[in-house]
Amino acid sequence: MSGDRDHPYLPRLRSQLADNKIDRREFLRTATLLGVSASAAMMMAGQTSPARAQETPKAGGSIRIENKNASADPAVMTSIDSSNATRQTLEYLTETGADNITRPYLLESWKPSEDLRSWTLNVRKGVKWQDGRDFTSDDVAWNIKRLLADETGSSVLGLMKGYMLNDSKGADGKTTHALWDANAIEKVDDHTVRLNLKVAQIAVPEHLFHYSFAMVDPTASPIFRAGINGTGPFRVVELSPGRNVVYEPNKNYWGQRPYLDKLEFVDYGDERAAVPAALISGQIQGILNAEPQQMPLLRNQPHLQLYEVLTGDGPALRFRVDLKPFDNPKVRLALKLGVDNAAVAKLALGDMGSAGENHQVAPVHPEYFKLPAFTQDIARAKQLLAEAGFPDGLQFEVAVTKTPAYHVLVVQAIVEMWKQIGVNATINVMPTSAYYDVWTKLPVGLTSWAHRPLGVMNIGLAYRSGAPWNESGYNNPEFDRLLTQAESVADPVERRKVMEPIEKLLQEDGPMIQATWRKQATFYAKSVGGFSMHPSQYVFARNLWLKA
Amino acid sequence: MLAFALRRVSQLLVTAIVSSFLLFVVTEFSPGTVSRQILGPYALPNQVALLDQKLGLSQSLPQRYLNWVSILVGLKSNPLGDPALGLNLSDPRGDRYFGNFGYSLMFRQPVRDVLAGPLANSALLGAVAMAFIVPLSLLIGIMAGANAGTRLDRLLSLGSLIVTSIPEYAAGVILLTVFVSYLNWLPGTSPLLASEQWSIASQLVLPVTVLTLASAGYVARIVRASMADTMTKPYVRTALLKGLTKSQIVTRHVIRNGMIPPMTVLLLQLNWLVGGVVVCESIFAYPGVGRLLLQAGLFGDLALVQTITLISLAMAAITQLLADMSYMALNPRVRLT
Repeated sequence: MSGDRDHPYLPRLRSQLADNKIDRREFLRTATLLGVSASAAMMMAGQTSPARAQETPKAGGSIRIENKNASADPAVMTSIDSSNATRQTLEYLTETGADNITRPYLLESWKPSEDLRSWTLNVRKGVKWQDGRDFTSDDVAWNIKRLLADETGSSVLGLMKGYMLNDSKGADGKTTHALWDANAIEKVDDHTVRLNLKVAQIAVPEHLFHYSFAMVDPTASPIFRAGINGTGPFRVVELSPGRNVVYEPNKNYWGQRPYLDKLEFVDYGDERAAVPAALISGQIQGILNAEPQQMPLLRNQPHLQLYEVLTGDGPALRFRVDLKPFDNPKVRLALKLGVDNAAVAKLALGDMGSAGENHQVAPVHPEYFKLPAFTQDIARAKQLLAEAGFPDGLQFEVAVTKTPAYHVLVVQAIVEMWKQIGVNATINVMPTSAYYDVWTKLPVGLTSWAHRPLGVMNIGLAYRSGAPWNESGYNNPEFDRLLTQAESVADPVERRKVMEPIEKLLQEDGPMIQATWRKQATFYAKSVGGFSMHPSQYVFARNLWLKA
Repeated sequence: MLAFALRRVSQLLVTAIVSSFLLFVVTEFSPGTVSRQILGPYALPNQVALLDQKLGLSQSLPQRYLNWVSILVGLKSNPLGDPALGLNLSDPRGDRYFGNFGYSLMFRQPVRDVLAGPLANSALLGAVAMAFIVPLSLLIGIMAGANAGTRLDRLLSLGSLIVTSIPEYAAGVILLTVFVSYLNWLPGTSPLLASEQWSIASQLVLPVTVLTLASAGYVARIVRASMADTMTKPYVRTALLKGLTKSQIVTRHVIRNGMIPPMTVLLLQLNWLVGGVVVCESIFAYPGVGRLLLQAGLFGDLALVQTITLISLAMAAITQLLADMSYMALNPRVRLT
């Protein structure tokens, strides 16, 4: 199990598990990260196979699930819905499960170098495209190159830019990107690709599961459509954008053949109110996610089963630190101390929320360090404002998107609490698309930050100085240094040590109030087996089956 | 008659040009850009700018309007269909033909293909709803109007008033709660996808009911007012004195004359039913033009919004033309100058 080729850190990881310094979940996570297969890692951890479902899945039948769909290039996908539609046909190199553990998928394994700057990706043998052609390292290299090209327009570029690309400004002032090294994406043999990174990066396997990272056939159009050639368990037989997608099993699938004879995704658009009605009357058997206000109605339906999971999805109310008065750390801290995060979570999300700690690392993240509780302190907040030169309080505007609806509630709760420390803020509710046109420029705004499997991922995207999504303009060399250090540590215990000062620093000095974490919840008909709620709302229909 | 029709058609053209340009001006100020919508919030600014340029969104407003008109009448080919751009847009009809409404950027398909299904669905919903609205509102309106001031009139008028004042979304939610949540008699949504449990017809029941409730009461009140007014005309008294029964007077004289004002309103309902039932279609997720318009508007899908609005305009103009014609048929004394 721990052969010569294993990562040198593995033995230490095993002893930490034995000494209870890390829990099994963290052991599994880190061991798989270091290139051990999930089943081998489970054996090391003393569990021979995952807990078995009580019922044996049956083949046959068809189900309908609510999910929006579009006919677009997966590289420019911008929604979980669209990725769920393509996910059944187009697959990913890795897969982060509902348990937040990332495992190889179209890869057989991966192996990082000790300095985490070279990642060897071993492509699974025996994987075939629907048309019968072998899936090889050429397909992998082509896809990665395509996703990193400016013309493609993929959000993968922003994600991997820091360690894969160099940017340069042309004569016309426009920024263009190119691979940082000609050998950055290296084909070793037909089933091996090596990524050579500009800087160390631990989240490569997680990035490979970013929703735009679906593998498409290099020899055909990448547009998602009926008959598209993928490696996945289902093939698309019918696609009407904005209406529905119909799938049938891929008879040549390389893995376990799906149980369902037919799968259909029905698109209800933005009509969130229509969705529970369809579920209740049995027109569909599952929905993407349930809104907090729909919970009581759906809970009362005897034929529906609730599925939920806690996530690292937490919007951040952030301030532009290059604008007055938010350039003053005392003002930022005062604004945080004026808010009771637990009360905000309760008001905005009810049972679906829990309090954030203003540092955007969630309890579900493996490297989460539990700091002493951050509590509301009106007197200290007032004193800090006075020290900063604002004894009479402040006035400014907070921008927030119309959807999801609870974001407006978060802002309303915070704004009400601020009144106690003399801060009078007005709320500007903006159409979601309009907000994201200007999101990095707004003085104060509440921005959605989706769940990501590692704690370092969101804070790296949002607060590293000069990062493209650094919407607050936060620029703190000490934070950057600590973050880079954390990102190069594979050991969860060691990384957690670095996370302590990072979390403290963001809590005290950081540019945002991050008041809530939300649970993701959904309902499926009790007749559907094999479902588990994924923190990112991903649907894997290959696991679903219909009870008699 | 011919001169009149020609004049109305030319007025229609002017209206179309002016309103389509106004549409462009309005959409110019709509928040967000299409490129941002397509690429999402996490695309870098340079990626968005690149797509803006490809889509020709950086051109000036009048220039874009002229392009759009030239493409529409088939003078110019649509630059978005150029494969060199890599937008993967193509039109099976070729790149230059009359009636080319361009590409829907939300669906990445020619607008004509996107619109065909919803238009047929909305026409179906409208036709079924009209089949209930017309007889129901005429019956109620005539009964109330012919018996103006009686207890029956007050009962019918009050009933119509109450039904009319319930907004569509409230009626929708009430019906959903009763017939879907409690009784489980009907499907909760109408995506027009048949399943073993729910036929297409069963999916039409609730949307048609909501539309009928929203419209029939209002039309009935117009009919009633016009009927009651006609009932006070001297010729009705003359007919009564001549010895005709009340039902003879109503059916032979009053209905024909009393129908002129309600005709316009009824035809306007037709216009609203095909293209304007945004609320009802949204509540029931009915795949019609109203819901599509809402989606397109939120996305900023210019070509689609423009086309749907143009169709609505054309419908309005045509139904009003029909209304004018029917005036003449109902009452030859009407002289339109």
